Amino acid sequence: MTTTPPTLEYGPDDAATPDDESTDLLAVENLQVQFGTYDGPVRAVDGVSFSVEPGETVGIVGESGCGKSVTARSIVGLQEPGEVVGGTVHIDGVNVHEASDRTRRRLRGDTVSMVFQDPDQTLNPAFDVGEQIAESLKVHDQPERQRLLDYLHAPLFASRSDWRDHRKRAVELMAQVGIDDPADRVDDYPHEFSGGMRQRAGLAIALASDPDLLIADEPTTALDTTTQAQLLDRFRRLTDERNMATLLITHDLGVVADICDRVVVLYAGQVMETGPTDRVLAEPHHPYTRALLECRTSRAARKQRVPTIEGAVPDRLGEQPGCPFAPRCPAAVDTCQEGKPPTFERDDGTVRCREGVVFGESDDDGGPVLEYGCGETQCAREDSSTTSDTATATARSASPPPRPDDDTDPLVSLEGVSKRYQQAGGLLRRLLGTDRCLQAVDDVTLEIAAGETLGLVGESGSGKSTLADLVTGLETPTSGAVRFDGDPVGAAGTRTAATLHDVGVVFQNPRSSLNPRLPVAQVIAEPLYADGWEDQRRRDRVGELLESVGLSERHTERYPHELSGGQLQRVAIARAIALEPRLVVLDEPVSALDVSVQARVLNLLLELQRELELTYLLISHDLDVVEHVSDRVVVLSNGEVVEAGQTERVLAEPSHPETAALVEAVPRLEHSSQ
Amino acid sequence: MDTAPYLVHRFGTSLVVLAGVSVVTYGLLFLTPGDPAEVILSQQLDRQPSEAEIEAFRAEHGMDEPVPLQYADWLTDVLRGDLGTSYYSDASISALILDALPLTLELAAASVVVALALAIPTGVLSAVHRGTAIDRASQLGALVGVSMPNFWLGYLLILVFALTLGVFPVAGAGSYSQLVLPAVTLGTGMAAVLTRLVRSSMLDVLDEGYLDTARSKGLRERIVVYKHALRNALVPVVTILGVQLGALLNGAVVIEIVFQRPGLGMLLVDAVFERNYPVVQGITLFTAVAFVVTNLLVDLSYRYLDPRVELGGDPT
Repeated sequence: MTTTPPTLEYGPDDAATPDDESTDLLAVENLQVQFGTYDGPVRAVDGVSFSVEPGETVGIVGESGCGKSVTARSIVGLQEPGEVVGGTVHIDGVNVHEASDRTRRRLRGDTVSMVFQDPDQTLNPAFDVGEQIAESLKVHDQPERQRLLDYLHAPLFASRSDWRDHRKRAVELMAQVGIDDPADRVDDYPHEFSGGMRQRAGLAIALASDPDLLIADEPTTALDTTTQAQLLDRFRRLTDERNMATLLITHDLGVVADICDRVVVLYAGQVMETGPTDRVLAEPHHPYTRALLECRTSRAARKQRVPTIEGAVPDRLGEQPGCPFAPRCPAAVDTCQEGKPPTFERDDGTVRCREGVVFGESDDDGGPVLEYGCGETQCAREDSSTTSDTATATARSASPPPRPDDDTDPLVSLEGVSKRYQQAGGLLRRLLGTDRCLQAVDDVTLEIAAGETLGLVGESGSGKSTLADLVTGLETPTSGAVRFDGDPVGAAGTRTAATLHDVGVVFQNPRSSLNPRLPVAQVIAEPLYADGWEDQRRRDRVGELLESVGLSERHTERYPHELSGGQLQRVAIARAIALEPRLVVLDEPVSALDVSVQARVLNLLLELQRELELTYLLISHDLDVVEHVSDRVVVLSNGEVVEAGQTERVLAEPSHPETAALVEAVPRLEHSSQ
Repeated sequence: MDTAPYLVHRFGTSLVVLAGVSVVTYGLLFLTPGDPAEVILSQQLDRQPSEAEIEAFRAEHGMDEPVPLQYADWLTDVLRGDLGTSYYSDASISALILDALPLTLELAAASVVVALALAIPTGVLSAVHRGTAIDRASQLGALVGVSMPNFWLGYLLILVFALTLGVFPVAGAGSYSQLVLPAVTLGTGMAAVLTRLVRSSMLDVLDEGYLDTARSKGLRERIVVYKHALRNALVPVVTILGVQLGALLNGAVVIEIVFQRPGLGMLLVDAVFERNYPVVQGITLFTAVAFVVTNLLVDLSYRYLDPRVELGGDPT
């Protein structure tokens, strides 16, 4: 299974080997992991080396598909997916892949813990949260006494006092990770927890073994900004208190800037660059790192195209000579395609690139090929190729889009709209009158003018999505009126085709909003079918739509699982605009996407808006996205509008504490603000 | 959260089902060819009964009243626990059922134990070692088990274990050794269905992320599989088990005859052959009630297995 490269021979459990790296808590050397596919093995991790010292926080960044998660999982020896075919991972001097099951369990119970990405997946739905934390404590205390019947709480076989004890300590841990009323919540099941709370519980499970190394795989990606900020803060405090080393896997450079000491930039399974966070983010040496930084919306002017990295992370099938990033690299020359790029050791890290491109060696314009293409040049090229200069000029000009205070009637108006949900209260509660009632949207009045983009922001649970559902007619208000173009919006089911035309919706997760059993062409054509378009016209329209969202004919017969996240979101957008709606509701349209893909989808949305004169209602927890795209912003809190106004004004000088908190919570690269 | 309204609702619907069952079972009597009074008397007397004798028999068994009234009388008796008397022995049907019931329950319980003891480990192993020889062998075993008729397996087991090896008695009831062969016979068929179900259900669960959380705690793989994965895989298994309990009674009819166990199944078959309608009626009704109650219990067990299940939600 594991073949150790000759140069890096370590004894299996030999911590005594005198070695410079013996101080490292984690040492990954030339790690290679492959997946078996029908086309042959894919090299998911291709010779990754890095180390983590005790107490240090190291970030691994890169786009999805770069092998970040696979690396993390291989470190703790989780098999699926992939097979370790080369290299070594030493934790505390122990070779993880050559260790016995028992040693590996010891490591997991004692030295290294892991926090996973998806809050819906981390906890077992069948057991209460306390049990799951208590289990972790018990493993740590008695790693060798794991009897199935004891863990199943079988009467007579389970030591009940032990479990009671561990549960008590679980409550303490829950308090430490910031779960309120831990004594009450310890008996709750995961589905009774919010996403943020579940991630905290996952953290509690990880901390239960008092690890020296915590590996966190995108722990905050699925959370809203405020929750993310709280959790990151908690991370930082706990790792400081316990002098715990952390390996943080993320695609969010803001998060890296926030808490990491050092960064490892991964691309296509290879380490492109390593170095201290401040340096890497301020003066990236590698073109890929630089491109990643450029893609951030906060770097681009409002409503302007965000620089993107064209192309996609390649599948590493078979032998591919040269640098994997070369096809997408603006600084690539012919020699990049052949031979492996050398890795330069520097005082503070490494860069894997051809000689001469390494940035920061001399002054900014010192290097031979330093004219870096991802910034201005590429923007200009893309602009001219896709939109007319006049259109760009219009958007660029300071003239604001029509505002609701103009005389024109608003496209959408909400007057005193409220939505209440009856919560499952039960007979007793109903009799006692303590019935819980969720006020999802509370007396909201707002207008959306034709042609503008209204950004809707707020923490999760603030009523953003409910408000969107009210606008689309998926929900009907408990009181108040929602009007579209002056006419009341009824429930979606009772509306005529003509009024359904006018509104398109793009949901957050295209994998769940698109039917997995229909090919792309049919997914897009669905609204056209419903509208009774005949065959030929429908087919033409699908072709047209594919083109306008930047996909081609060859995608028509593909099924959703064959497409990447960015491509799927394009399909969803094509479906939303199929019937030429006037309003498109975008519910977190880019939050499930990588930065580079996010930039491309945002560019597409801006372009479509210009071409088709669309009105957008954009819901997002990412303030950078909202700031980039929206004309006006409405801030929701507990179902109420707490602040509304021009985007620049609201985000620059928030007048409500809720808005200020949201703005504050966004992790930023300090140095990047020019 | 609160199960009380759900229980009320669920009991209500169960009652409606049972009322329907009672009407249908009572109606059985009128769907049978010939005049029951005449048929029964001719069998009892072993000659063609006279008109007067038939009239007297009808009067004695309340058969001369209008049908709805007869039904009401019958139902009142049933609710009091009186299922009537057998046409032949004048024994109370309730007593007949209660006599036969323990043997059938014993068989059913033992079969379920056999079925689960076979199906869960085999299904889990099969899923964990998916695509290996273990998996293929268990799949083949399950296929054979599903395809094999119960009674045939029963005779086969008698042939091998009772007649040739002499380890278990051929037939009869009363001792544990007499329970083994019938329970194995009946349990195997059920196990075959359940094994496949446990396997497919486990395969769904084995990809879940929370198993990695469990592994990364340092738990042994055995605990990861049999605690964390199995509990989540059991929900569909329990549903089918509930339905299978009904099938178990069908199976018991055949098995009780093969092994000559005087249980409920045998009582039913005898009653059918004798056209002993009140007995048939009583057993049918009893079985229906048992079935409804079992399914109610199965539904309630979901809540334990999967806490996300909101029992009933809003009963309206």
